[in-house]
Amino acid sequence: MSNFTRRSFLQTTGLAAAALASPAIIRPAHAAGGTVKLGCLFSSSGTMANIEGRLNHVVKMAADEINAKGGVNGRTLEVAVSDPASDWPLYAQIGKQMLEQDKVAALFGCWTSVSRKTVLPVVEQANGLLFYPLHFEGDENSKNIVYVNSPPASSVLPAVDYLMGDEGVSAKRFFMIGSDYVWPRTINKQLKGYWKSKGIPETAWKEQYVPLGFSNFQTIVNQIRAFADQGGGKPIVVLTVVGSSIPDFLREFANQGIKATDIPVLGLDMVEADLEGLNTEPLVGHLNCWAYLQNAKGEKNVAFLKQWADYVKANNVPFKGDVAIDPMVSAYDSVHLWAMAAKKANSFDVNEVRKAFPGLSFDGPSGYTLKMTAENNYVSRGVFIGSVNEKQGFDVLWQSKDAPKPVPFSPYS
Amino acid sequence: MRRFCVAVTLLVTACASSQSIAAGAQRADLLGKLCGDTASLGDAGRILTSLAADGSRDDRLWAAPIARAVIDRKLRCDASGAVLVSGEKTLDVLTQAPRMPTEPSRSPLLSLKNRGLFETAEAALALRTAPDVAGRAAALHTLERRAASLPEKLFEAAAEQESDAELKAQMIAVAQAAALNSADPLKRIAALKQISATPDRRALTKVSALLGDPAYAANPAFKRAVDDAVTTIGRGIAIGDVLATLYNGLSFASILFMAAIGLAVIFGLMGVINLAQGELIMIGAYVTWLVQEGLRHFAPMLLDYYLIIAIPVAFLVTAAIGIALEAILLRHLYRRPLMSLLATWAVSLFLINLVRVTFGTQNLNFVTPFYVTGGVPVIGDFIFTWNRMFAIVFAVVTLALTWGVMRLTPLGLNIRAVMQNRTMAGCIGIPVRRVDMLAFGLGSGLAGLAGLALSPIYSVNPQMGQNFVIDSFMVVVLGGVGTIVGTVVAALGIGQINVLIEPLWGAVAAKVIVLLMIIAFLQWRPEGLFVIKGRRK
Repeated sequence: MSNFTRRSFLQTTGLAAAALASPAIIRPAHAAGGTVKLGCLFSSSGTMANIEGRLNHVVKMAADEINAKGGVNGRTLEVAVSDPASDWPLYAQIGKQMLEQDKVAALFGCWTSVSRKTVLPVVEQANGLLFYPLHFEGDENSKNIVYVNSPPASSVLPAVDYLMGDEGVSAKRFFMIGSDYVWPRTINKQLKGYWKSKGIPETAWKEQYVPLGFSNFQTIVNQIRAFADQGGGKPIVVLTVVGSSIPDFLREFANQGIKATDIPVLGLDMVEADLEGLNTEPLVGHLNCWAYLQNAKGEKNVAFLKQWADYVKANNVPFKGDVAIDPMVSAYDSVHLWAMAAKKANSFDVNEVRKAFPGLSFDGPSGYTLKMTAENNYVSRGVFIGSVNEKQGFDVLWQSKDAPKPVPFSPYS
Repeated sequence: MRRFCVAVTLLVTACASSQSIAAGAQRADLLGKLCGDTASLGDAGRILTSLAADGSRDDRLWAAPIARAVIDRKLRCDASGAVLVSGEKTLDVLTQAPRMPTEPSRSPLLSLKNRGLFETAEAALALRTAPDVAGRAAALHTLERRAASLPEKLFEAAAEQESDAELKAQMIAVAQAAALNSADPLKRIAALKQISATPDRRALTKVSALLGDPAYAANPAFKRAVDDAVTTIGRGIAIGDVLATLYNGLSFASILFMAAIGLAVIFGLMGVINLAQGELIMIGAYVTWLVQEGLRHFAPMLLDYYLIIAIPVAFLVTAAIGIALEAILLRHLYRRPLMSLLATWAVSLFLINLVRVTFGTQNLNFVTPFYVTGGVPVIGDFIFTWNRMFAIVFAVVTLALTWGVMRLTPLGLNIRAVMQNRTMAGCIGIPVRRVDMLAFGLGSGLAGLAGLALSPIYSVNPQMGQNFVIDSFMVVVLGGVGTIVGTVVAALGIGQINVLIEPLWGAVAAKVIVLLMIIAFLQWRPEGLFVIKGRRK
């Protein structure tokens, strides 16, 4: 056996091993026809890191779930994650890169409205798809963006209505305080228009803005107390500050001895994650409004919470496994909506997927059925009003009977 | 139909167990309301309040824990009534017999309006039934603001029964103040006096409403009383506003000072622009948290004092990091200030990410000890809040200690010598290298203390340091590089101006205007407010 050298032995065994192993490698890829890429545009550094960062993992979790069931159109999903570092122009740049170089089938991303506004021209130019999971100020309608969460007409207005009604606190006066950028300013403009239409005089509201990342709320809370003491009906605070300003504001508010029953705060961007680290006992009763709350009832939610907890444990995700927030669920819904549309269209082409949107419905963790119509890329969802409890979460104080039809453009601005 | 049956069953159980049929029926009715919808929950709240005013002693004692339990969601409604979870025990509300709730059970959630009603009811009941003076005083304090909407009898009955003389007087005062709209003009004048004793905007609103009252025109004595009250309250509010502005300015200044003092020492001595200063503040706060967690595990009885126990730890840990930073990195870059700026920036990014990987990005949970919780209303709308007071006192003590170190110790003497003329100081035998290192440690340690002082006020997370860097640079540059007096004066000035501008033009404008003022000032005096005499250039 002169030709039996060590090298040839290794070669043969190597080949044999490869041949044996190849079906395992090739078959799923062959049967699945390769992978299809999805892109994530969520910051895992900078001011938005704590809340926005977890959405990357939720998208991956949803993709894993779909893959486990055989993928979409015979292809498995692959999630590409990026970090735009809470730097608004970077969102557009990375989005462009993902659409043009990585050829992602859809983008999932953005938290602040300003980041969405920077990505908008990019997705329109490249004819891409962006699923946007936050509730926002509305007044925008692009065929390239799927607005998975709610415009003000189906989130903020029902909550304000509730507070102005008998069941709420019969609110008559409003102190608006927001971070100084597009979302708070637009929301407040719409609210003022809404109150005007209800015959509430201009003297019944006051507006204040603070820089992003502002933390010294002492003077502003003093102003709120003075505003409330002027009499003339029940005052409430409409809070549209974002990021780390939310806990800082709440801390000062509680510290000056103001209870929710004296002056309730309606925090429009306040989620469960903002209460982490706060002593919420003196804050019990303050409100928020979203299309999902962690305490929503129903099996779907129980399953979702368990899935997230398991995912966090299995993948060593650096976020809490027992905290779920609306944008997480909306991101999760987004991936499923996209997958359903792609399946219905039997294609990953953006135009085909878009054509499949009308009539789609998905039973999300919130307990409502999400529906899409042919009119626009808005999704109809339910509305929750949450009330802060002492366990750093929200109790469901009120929820809509069914999902209101979304109105993209506000008649009040 | 089912509800009816439940009610009947309730009634029957109630009748069997209670002494009087009427009381039993009333209690069962109340219970039905407690387990009903939002509107009937509201009724239940009102009934509880009226029980506090004119219910029998038995009824009041029975009702007292219910209001609290509903607020805390410890009342569970089930098919056969409701049970109350108090501590370890679960008792049936009607029979007071121990029993577990039968499934399905639910605990009613109060709407905001009902929460207000129940808070009032709870306080009203506590006013009549709480066994200790402190409990009754707290209840009275809660009721004070809502006195006008409560039954007049409540305070009278409570005062009659009260054994503590001081509290009794307070109760009578509250009852008097509540009589502002009574039919008797003498009572109204007494009420006006009571109200103007605590001048705030709420009182002013209440009293101003009387200017349109028919009695104001008709009764000269009443008119005089109203006018007097308006003047007194107006004066009180004005004083309160001035004090509040000063206090807010001072507390903001103390925060700016704490953030800037470490930077001033480092910048002033070595000309190193330490961009990692904010992260050292952040680490100080994290060390404080670690101390808190350590105490929670090993000495829970000292937990409340973690802010004080953490002082040396926060200082030493950040000082050690500062010294290490100086020894490893910065000493190579003293002659290249731009490089040292970049290097400290890299260090700041590194520290942020290190903390993020170790602790996560969420805000840390801090216990708020009693000495930094709440505040005391002083006069007008001015509330003296303890967490800000803590920051002010902390800043003053830090200032005193830093000043002491710089002026009274050999190290301070050396630091000042090196600051004035590095080469000459080296020539006369001062160990310049060691002074550099220790000064860097001192500056970093001061940043750590700032983190500790800020933790009861701001959220603590890996990003928190970035908020302070710009502010502290403003202070240091305005004050004049490296002077303690300059830092103090600049912090006071910026803090006070900020607070003055904010209510007028808003927080955004305040930031911009302060920045413009600093730029304008530096055009006129580029060295800042105070200049160290020296021959560095």
